[in-house]
Amino acid sequence: MRKMTDLWPRLEPLLRDAERPSRYLNHEFGCVRKQDADFAFCMVYPDTYELGQANQALRILVNVVNASENLCAERAFLPAPAFCDVMRREHLPLFSIESCAPLREFDAIGITLPHELAATNVLETLDLAGIPIRSEDRSENDPFVLGGGPCAYNPEPYAPFFDAISIGEGEEAVPEGLHLIRRMRQEGASRGDVLRALAREDGWYVPSLYRWRSEEEAQEAGSWIEPVEPGLPTVIRKRLFTRFAESNGWELCIVPYAECVHDRLNVEVLRGCARGCRFCQAGMMYRPVRERSADNIVESVLTGLAETGYDEVSLTSLSSTDHSQIADILTRLNKALDGKGVRISVPSQRLDSFGVDMAGLVAGQKKGGLTFAPEAGTQRLRDVINKNVTEDDLFGAIDAAFAAGWRRCKLYFMIGLPTETDDDIKGIASLAQRAYDRAKAAVPPEQRGSIRMSVSCALFVPKAQTPFQWDGQIAPEEAIRRVNLLRHSVKHKAVDVHWHDPETSFVEAVMSRGGREAARWVEAAWKRGARFDAWTECFDEQAWRDAADEAGIDPAVIAQTEYPVERVMPWTHISTGVSSRFLALERRRAQEGATTPDCTFGTCTGCGACPDLDSENMLAAVRMLSGSSASAAAPARGEE
Amino acid sequence: MPDPNLFRLRVEYCKKGRLSMLSHLEIARALERAVRRADLPFAVSQGFSPHMKIAFGSALPVGVGSTCEIFDLQMTRYVAPEKALAALRAASVPDLMPHDCRYIGPRDAAASVVYPVASYQAELSFALEGGLPLPEEVHVVRKKKEKTLKVADYLVGQLATEGAMVTFELEAKPTGSLRPDVLLNACIDAFNATRPEVQEPLHIVSITRTTQRASR
Repeated sequence: MRKMTDLWPRLEPLLRDAERPSRYLNHEFGCVRKQDADFAFCMVYPDTYELGQANQALRILVNVVNASENLCAERAFLPAPAFCDVMRREHLPLFSIESCAPLREFDAIGITLPHELAATNVLETLDLAGIPIRSEDRSENDPFVLGGGPCAYNPEPYAPFFDAISIGEGEEAVPEGLHLIRRMRQEGASRGDVLRALAREDGWYVPSLYRWRSEEEAQEAGSWIEPVEPGLPTVIRKRLFTRFAESNGWELCIVPYAECVHDRLNVEVLRGCARGCRFCQAGMMYRPVRERSADNIVESVLTGLAETGYDEVSLTSLSSTDHSQIADILTRLNKALDGKGVRISVPSQRLDSFGVDMAGLVAGQKKGGLTFAPEAGTQRLRDVINKNVTEDDLFGAIDAAFAAGWRRCKLYFMIGLPTETDDDIKGIASLAQRAYDRAKAAVPPEQRGSIRMSVSCALFVPKAQTPFQWDGQIAPEEAIRRVNLLRHSVKHKAVDVHWHDPETSFVEAVMSRGGREAARWVEAAWKRGARFDAWTECFDEQAWRDAADEAGIDPAVIAQTEYPVERVMPWTHISTGVSSRFLALERRRAQEGATTPDCTFGTCTGCGACPDLDSENMLAAVRMLSGSSASAAAPARGEE
Repeated sequence: MPDPNLFRLRVEYCKKGRLSMLSHLEIARALERAVRRADLPFAVSQGFSPHMKIAFGSALPVGVGSTCEIFDLQMTRYVAPEKALAALRAASVPDLMPHDCRYIGPRDAAASVVYPVASYQAELSFALEGGLPLPEEVHVVRKKKEKTLKVADYLVGQLATEGAMVTFELEAKPTGSLRPDVLLNACIDAFNATRPEVQEPLHIVSITRTTQRASR
């Protein structure tokens, strides 16, 4: 083990006055400090321990690096805002959890980019660690700063801050990249040479090796990036973990002391979703779909509960009820865990698969609120976004849930979807009120007072790598008008309406659609004090506005401009496997209100992911449609 | 009143090192998870939200350690105490390690009230020539209301100082209790107030609960 500075003696006295010191303690059950390694990697979640500890990327990558010969991995998080200030005052640099060692003493650090509002926290992390925030300013002695995660599919707004960015799933790419850095550093290679080699590895993007073109040049050349030397890839294709399905669903997991989000056993039952919702980035970037088998999942859950002592397990994925064996899995788990006081939760319930059967299978336990996402208020608009659920699906799900004992339901909608009119907004109110009426009818009269139906809406954010990437976001003022229209259209007192601040969604849209110039905006905003932008109480709108003037960019143009499908977007050089042609076709179908089926339930829809990535959907059994999709698909099947 | 058909196991454990900084809720959650990992035949409550039948001793403040904490676990069948202890120890981290298990009767007092008197040992940042000044009253804020506690109502005997070590005993009353860290900080504030500002102020290095007992 390399010798690193132990900052604990300096940290401990500061914790006396810190809020929730358990965030900084280490010594959690299950945490590992690997001794026999000569290359140290630190995986960073750019927010607090409570928000990041349960993050899947963190767990997977720390485990996979620790399982690699000669490499060890630790974790780090940003301290809470007030403690960041205490650390600056005391000149205490950002530290890892396991060794309490300064981040800048690690050989490499990896920062995951979990959502679009984490950019200023990346800079806060680097600065607090005493690492220059720009790649070009780092010296031979600084750690390699690596990025990855969902937002890496449009890496440009982060490009100057990272030495290299891993595109796609990191199970194999991250250890490979670290081995390469270790080997070359031991051979005495310079930082620049290591990065030039890394840029030639599958799935690694090294932004500094590509010149950023002007708008005119990019449209002419068909790409925004120009390699600065021969032999570099011009398209960086995502990495796919092809052994996901057969890999064990249980892996070592840390049981924190502090109360964290998603503090439970999380077993990933499947990866990817091919439902094809046209606004959804995750639905495009994790293709093809891979299911773990029922045997693997049941065994993983039981082992995981025994090893961790958790009293709750979540069967995670983008759409767990789509698993071909979900009923079997739940039946077996319910039986095995009967009387143990263990709660099984199934997030991301799809409306068309939540019938009486599913309600029964997840009903044995404590009933929290149920969340469904119709996304749009009218069938027309749901067809535009390819949601493929109907009002009847919603009402069927409500009937089943409230009859089975649920009393609270939250409905998610988006405001400002392409082609949306005021009728669609009023449709949200109408749908929610009728859902409430259905709930009422399904519940005995004396219990009706406890029914809660809430509508939660967020402003549509056009995401890179989706069919709606060319569509603009509506202006925040217009979003507020539409939210007000919705609020005035809801007449029932028992239906309440919540909405996200459109200003933060505006920043998300810029980060999602911006090119390399957006990095200047991020840096200027952070220098003006923006950080923890995802925290409502910390979001500093003025800092972002002033930053735009300083950076000389118009963020409204980036967020709101609508383009024809011919326009070369700033992430054209990053490939999820799904072809641009398919995205363009899907956008045209959206404008026509035509839907596209899910290939995991039927035939190929030609998105391009399987041939491009030389892979295919891996299902544990045949998937059967339910709800309205089943009745819609039935005649089509008969014709075949 | 515990179910007479269940077995009540009283477990004694320590809270030390870095984990002294955990809160009562964090400790409770960690212990419950250790019981599950130990695979003891714990009882589960019936009803809307089933949970483990476990009861904790009186709360220790964040930053205060202990060598003598207890919790009571109701079990559906008898497991020999030494076997239960071995299973719990195998499932626990060193700083929250159980060191004793024994069965108690169905009518015995619950963990939270059985030991109202606790003694504490504290280490200060430097040795004192004389003793610490003891204020007559301590002001605390609870649920946004200021309350004045008379130290004599809670302090059993004297506050003894020897060099940098302080020992004292506090008794919890049905109406409330005085936290050891609050009392000690009040003493230290009074001490620091008598010293010139240029000198390094006195502060607490650690506080540990060393014994717990019933009232005499």
